[in-house]
Amino acid sequence: MDSKNNQSSAARILVEFLEVAITSVVFLKGVYPSDAFERRRYMHVVVQRARHPLLRDYIHSAVSGLLPFIQKGLVERVAVIFFDSDNIPLERFIFKLAVNQSNGSKVEEGDLEFSLRSFLVKLSVSEGLTKVLPRDCRWEITAYFRSLPHVSTSKDAELWIPTDTKQWQQPPLITPIKSMSSEPLSLQLYMEHPSLSEPKPQEGKNS
Amino acid sequence: MSFDSCRSSSANSSRKSKRSLNNSNSSNNKKSKQKTLGMAWGANSLSSSRSSFRNSPFSNFSSYMAEKNRKLQHQFEAEASTSSHNGSSSGNLIFQGVSIFVDGFTIPSNQELRAYMLKYGGRFENYFSRHRVTHIICSNLPDSKIKNLRSFSGGLPVVKPAWILDSIVANKLLGWVPYQLDQLANNQPKLSAFFTMKGNPIPENVLTDEACQVNLDPFFKGGTPRDANISEVGEPMRDTEQVDKLFDDPKLQLEEPNSSSGKSSEVKIEEPSSSDAEDGNSVNNNHQSSPDQLSASVSDHCLLNQSMKESPSSESVGPSNQRHSTLGDPNFVENYFKSSRLHFIGTWRSRYRKRFPSSSSDFKCRSSDLITSDNSQKSTIIHVDMDCFFVSVVIRNHPELHDKPVAVCHSDNPKGTAEISSANYPARNYGVKAGIFVRDAKALCPHLVIFPYNFKAYEEVADQLYNILHKHCNRVQAVSCDEAFLDVTDTDVGDPELLASTIRKEIFETTGCTASAGIAGNMLMARLATRSAKPDGQCYIPSERVDEYLHKLPIKALPGIGHVLEEKLKKRNVWTCGQLCLISKESLQKDFGKKTGEMLWNYSRGVDNRLVGNIQESKSIGAEVNWGVRFKDLQDSQHFLLNLCKEVSLRLQGCGVQGRTFTLKIKKRRKDADEPAKYMGCGDCENLSHSMTVPIATYDVGVLQRVTKQLFGSFCLDVKDIRGLGLQVSKLENTDPSKQGLERNSLRSWLTSSSGITGKGCSINSMAKERARIDSEVQNINGSSGQLFPDQTGFSAQMDNNSLSGVSDPPPLYHLDMGVVESLPPELFSELNEIYGGKLTDFIAKSRVASENINIYSCTSSAEGKELAVDGGKGPLASDMIPLDVIMVENSAKQHTSKEAQAGPSRAGLQNEANCSVSPGNTDLMPSSLSQVDVSVLQQLPGELRGDILGQLPAHRKQESTSNAELHPLSENLEGSLNIKITENQPNSIASVLNTNLWIGSPPQWVDKFTVSKCLILKTLAQLYYKLGLSGSLSPILQCIISECLYPSDDSDAWGEEATYDLCELFKQYVKIKMELDLEEVYVCFRLLRRLTTKSKFLLHVYNIVFPYLQTSVGENYGGDLHI
Repeated sequence: MDSKNNQSSAARILVEFLEVAITSVVFLKGVYPSDAFERRRYMHVVVQRARHPLLRDYIHSAVSGLLPFIQKGLVERVAVIFFDSDNIPLERFIFKLAVNQSNGSKVEEGDLEFSLRSFLVKLSVSEGLTKVLPRDCRWEITAYFRSLPHVSTSKDAELWIPTDTKQWQQPPLITPIKSMSSEPLSLQLYMEHPSLSEPKPQEGKNS
Repeated sequence: MSFDSCRSSSANSSRKSKRSLNNSNSSNNKKSKQKTLGMAWGANSLSSSRSSFRNSPFSNFSSYMAEKNRKLQHQFEAEASTSSHNGSSSGNLIFQGVSIFVDGFTIPSNQELRAYMLKYGGRFENYFSRHRVTHIICSNLPDSKIKNLRSFSGGLPVVKPAWILDSIVANKLLGWVPYQLDQLANNQPKLSAFFTMKGNPIPENVLTDEACQVNLDPFFKGGTPRDANISEVGEPMRDTEQVDKLFDDPKLQLEEPNSSSGKSSEVKIEEPSSSDAEDGNSVNNNHQSSPDQLSASVSDHCLLNQSMKESPSSESVGPSNQRHSTLGDPNFVENYFKSSRLHFIGTWRSRYRKRFPSSSSDFKCRSSDLITSDNSQKSTIIHVDMDCFFVSVVIRNHPELHDKPVAVCHSDNPKGTAEISSANYPARNYGVKAGIFVRDAKALCPHLVIFPYNFKAYEEVADQLYNILHKHCNRVQAVSCDEAFLDVTDTDVGDPELLASTIRKEIFETTGCTASAGIAGNMLMARLATRSAKPDGQCYIPSERVDEYLHKLPIKALPGIGHVLEEKLKKRNVWTCGQLCLISKESLQKDFGKKTGEMLWNYSRGVDNRLVGNIQESKSIGAEVNWGVRFKDLQDSQHFLLNLCKEVSLRLQGCGVQGRTFTLKIKKRRKDADEPAKYMGCGDCENLSHSMTVPIATYDVGVLQRVTKQLFGSFCLDVKDIRGLGLQVSKLENTDPSKQGLERNSLRSWLTSSSGITGKGCSINSMAKERARIDSEVQNINGSSGQLFPDQTGFSAQMDNNSLSGVSDPPPLYHLDMGVVESLPPELFSELNEIYGGKLTDFIAKSRVASENINIYSCTSSAEGKELAVDGGKGPLASDMIPLDVIMVENSAKQHTSKEAQAGPSRAGLQNEANCSVSPGNTDLMPSSLSQVDVSVLQQLPGELRGDILGQLPAHRKQESTSNAELHPLSENLEGSLNIKITENQPNSIASVLNTNLWIGSPPQWVDKFTVSKCLILKTLAQLYYKLGLSGSLSPILQCIISECLYPSDDSDAWGEEATYDLCELFKQYVKIKMELDLEEVYVCFRLLRRLTTKSKFLLHVYNIVFPYLQTSVGENYGGDLHI
C-alpha cells in the first residue's frame, strides 16, 4: 500500500467515524426524540444510528462530501453547531483534524479504530459537560477549510453552502472531550460554549 | 479505491481508478497497456461527448489537445521508465500520486521540476486540467489570478516549488500546507518562500547542496564564500538577477568597509564639533583632541544617537557610518524616535488629549448643539499658528539671533545631507526652506545658523500655548503642536479681532514666540487668513470679502491640493480659485472623484462645513523607521523588530487602544540603487508590505513580536537590502477602561505578591522594571533615580495618572539634582515646573554647568567616565540593551554621584525610602554581577527579557573584579536593609533558568533534575515518573498524587523560588508541547492541578503563575479559553 492509498484509507475511516460520532452528538443532545435512533454496533461499541432517512442522509452526505477535501488535507475542523432560533450558537462540538500527508508508514487500521473508539466511549458519557438546550434549537454541520475549495470541484461540494449561523463576539470557553494523535491522523474533539462575558443580545456578523 | 468506485459519479471514479492503475503500471512499464489507457482517458476527460478522434484525430481543437496531451504524457512516461532503468533514481517514488502543473516562472525551472517528477515517481502536466493536476506549483501569481483564484486553481492547492525540493530532501512527501503560496493570504505580488524553509528544521546545508546541484553551476560553489550565501542560492524563489547579484555580494562586502571608512574619515575631518547645545557640549569640547572622542562626536551630527557616546570609547573607530545605523546602536529604535521630529508631532496629539481630556469630550456634546444652530448663527473661527515654531522656540532665548537666518536641523555639518525641518523668515528670504539638505541651505545662505531640535522646549511651549488657548475659548481643536482652531462663536467677546490680538499678545509674553492668527467664518477661511497674516500678524476675512480674497488665490494654497492635484488642475489651465470656481461640480467630480471634486468645488467658494472640535479618531497606530536602517544579519533585524514592537506597543497603550491587524512595511533597496544621496537615508526603495489579522485585539509586546516575526519572514528578503521598516496596527479597538484597570490591578498584585516573598526591595526593583516596560518615559526616572530622591519621582510618576494631588512641599530648588530634573519625562517636568512657579526652567540653565562640574569632579579620572556620567543623567537607559562595559563604567560614575547625594542634608527626610533604591542594581537597572540578581525577579520576568539579562550577565561577571571595591559597600547595604536572602544555591538556579527544555530526552530532563531537588513535591513527581512506567504524560502522575495523597501535608515552610520556577517551567513547557495535538491532556492536567491547589499553597502559587500562560496558549491555538 503506498502512502497515498494509506492516507486515503485513513481519511475514509475518519469520514466513517465522523458520521457515527456526529450522530452520537446529535443523539446526546436530544434534539430529536430518542425513538428516532436505533442501537447499532460500530467498532465494537454500541452507537446510535438515525432511523429517519432524511437525518441519516444529511449526516452521511455532509460527511462523505468532505472526503475529497480531507484527503487533500484541506479540512481543518468539522463543527456540529447547535443554535437557537436567532441563529446564535449555543454549543459547538468541534472535531479538529490534522491529516499528516507526509506519513509514509503504514497505518494499522486496528490501532486507528482503537483510538477512535475511545472518542465514542467518551462521548457517550460526556452529557454532563454539555449544556441543556432550549426546545426550539436547530443544528448544522459546518466545516472549516484551510483554504476555500472550488465550488464545482465535485458535485459534493455543491451541497455545501455558506452558513447563516452567527458567531460569538468573545472567544469561547473550550472544554476538551478527547484527543488522539497518531500517524497519519490526529483528531481532537472539544466543545465550545459562549464565554461568560458574551453579550446576551447579540448582533453578530454572519460568518 | 473501493470507496471511490462505489460512489456514483462516473467520470470521477473512472479517472481515479485509472490513475491508480497508471501508478502501479509505471513501475512495471507496460507500454502498450498504457497507451490505450491514455487514449481512453483523454477521451473521457475532454471530449467524451464528441465523436471518437480515432477516425478524425484533429477534427476540432479539443480533440487535438487531447491527442497532444496524450502524446506528452506518453513521452513523460517513457522518460520516466528510462530514468528508472538507469538506476539513477534513488528508488523512492515519493511523489507517487502527485501530479503537478507549473505556472509561470519558478526556480528551479519547470523543466527541472519535471525532471524531479520523473525521478521521484510523480507526474508533470503541461496543460492545466482540474482533473489531472493535484498540485499547482508557482512562486508568483499575477494580480488577476489572485483575485480570481478559484477559477484559476480550481480549488487545488497552490504550492511553492520549495515543497518539492523539501520533500526530496526529506525523502518523503511533506504536507503542502506550510508551502501554500503566501500571496493567497494577502494580495502581495512580491513574495517568495524562503521563510518556510528557514522555519524548517531540516538542515539547510542538505537542502542547499541539492539546490546547488540543481543550478549545475560550478562557479556557484567556488564563488560563494560563506554559508549564508550558499543558502541564498538555495532559495528557490530567487530569480536569476538575484542570483547574479550574489556574485556581487562578496565584492559588495569588500567594498563596504572601504567606502565607509573613507566616509568616516571624511566626516571626522569636516565635523567641527557637536552642535548639541542641550547636551553638555563642554564635555565634548574637552575631549575633542582624543581620536575616540572624535568618532563619537560624529554621531552627534545627527543627534540620533545619544547613546553612541555612552558606548565604550575603547571601541575601534571602525566603519563609523554604521554606528548610528541599526548596526552600531542597540537602542537605535528608541533613540531614533526620541530625536525624530515627525515622531514628536505624531505623538504630540495623544499627549495633548491626555492633558486636556475634558475639553475634547466637551466638544462632542457641544458640537451636536452646533449642528442645529449652525445655520441660524454665523460662526467665527480663529486659526492660531505659531510662526516657524521649531525655530522660534529654539531661539527665543537668543534675542541676538532674531533677525538672523536660523534653521533647525539634526546636523549642522555644512556638507551634510540632513534635512532642514524649519527655517525662520530671514532664512526663508535666502530661499532656505524645510526639506532641503543642509549643504544646499548652506550654499544658499552661508551664515545660516543651525540649531538642533529641542523637543523638551517644544513640548513646554506647546503646553503653554494650549493653556492660553483653553483659557480664552472652550472649543479648541488642536491641529498640531503649534496650530489650533478656536470656535469663538459663543464666546462673549464682541470683537474676534480683539480676542485674537489678546491671545497673540499673551502667547508672545508667555512663550517668547510669535503667533499669527486668521479669523473668518469657517475653518478653511481662517486658515487661509492666517496664511496672509504671517508672520506675526493677524488677518480677518469677513464673509463678504471671501470671494474677493479667493479670486486671486493660487489653487496651491488650498488645503488638500498637493503637487499632483495642482499639476492636473494646471493642465486644465486652472491657476487660481477664481478659475476653479468656473468649473461645474459635476465636471470636477467626474475628473477627480466624488470626494475630491466636491472638496474642490466647496473650497474654491470658501465653503467649509467642518466643525471645530471634530477630531477624527486615528484609524491606525504605528511606527516606522526609514533612516539609518542597516542590518548585518537576521539577528540584527530581529532585534530591531523587537524594539519596533515595543515602541508600537507603547504607543498603543499610550492611546489606550488595542489592534487586530498588523501591517509590516519594508523599504527594500532597489537592485540597482546606489548608496542614497542622503546620508544613511533609504534611497530608492521598493515599498513592500504584508499584513496579518489576529482574532483578538491586543497591544501585548509578545504577540506583536510573534506576528511581526512571522510577517517579516514572509518577505523573504536579504536583510542587507532593507532600508526601512515600519509596523502599523489597525482595526483598533478601545481598551475597555474597566478591563484595563483590572489588568493593572492584577499586575500590581502580582508584583506585591512577589514582594511578599522576597522582600520589599525586590518589589521595587521589579516594579521599576515592569514600569520601564509599561512606559518608556518612566525609564528616565529609573535611569537616574539614584541621583535624586527616587521615591519622590516615583510617586509623581504614579500620580501622573491619578491627577497629581497632595504633593508634599517640594524641596528647595537648589536641592534638586538637575541631571534628574532634565531627564524627567516632559509631563513631570512641566508639573515640577509649575510647582516651582516656572522657576525651574531658568534654574536648569544656570545649574547645568555646575551640575556637570560636580559630576565630573566626582568621577574617576578616566575620560570616558566623565563623559558617561554626564550622559548617564540624560540619556535614558534601556535595561536590557546597553553594552556592558558602559554600564560598568557608569556604575562607578553613579556610585559617586549617589554617594554624594546621600550625604546631602536635603535627603534626610527621604532617607528611608531612598535606601531601598539607591543601590547599584536600581540605579542602572542592570545589576553588576550575578550575585545581585534576585532570582525570583528574574524568574518572573518575561522570557525574552530574561534571556537578554542572562545573555549579558556572564560578561558582567568578568568585570566584577574591577568594580567590586566600589560596589561592595552599597550592595551590602542593600542586602542588609532589605533582607534579601541570597541563597547559596543561586548559581544553581541561574543554571536552571538557562537550561530550557525540561521535556527533552528519555527520561525527560526534569526527572533527573527533580530527583535531586530539595523540594518534596518535585521529588515526588520524579519518583512517580518512574513508578508509573515512564510514560511521557503528566496527568497520570498528578492523578496518582491526588489518589494517594502524596501532596506535601505540611505546607508551612517556604517552598523556595527555585522549586516554584522549576515547576512552573515544567508545566509551561508541557503546555507548549501538548497544546497543538493533545488539548485533552493539558485540560486533564490542569483540572488535576486545580484540585491540588486546595491542598497545597505551593501548588496554588504555581497554578496561579501558569494559568495565564495556559489560557494565552489555548487562545492562540484554538481561539478560546479553556474552561477549567
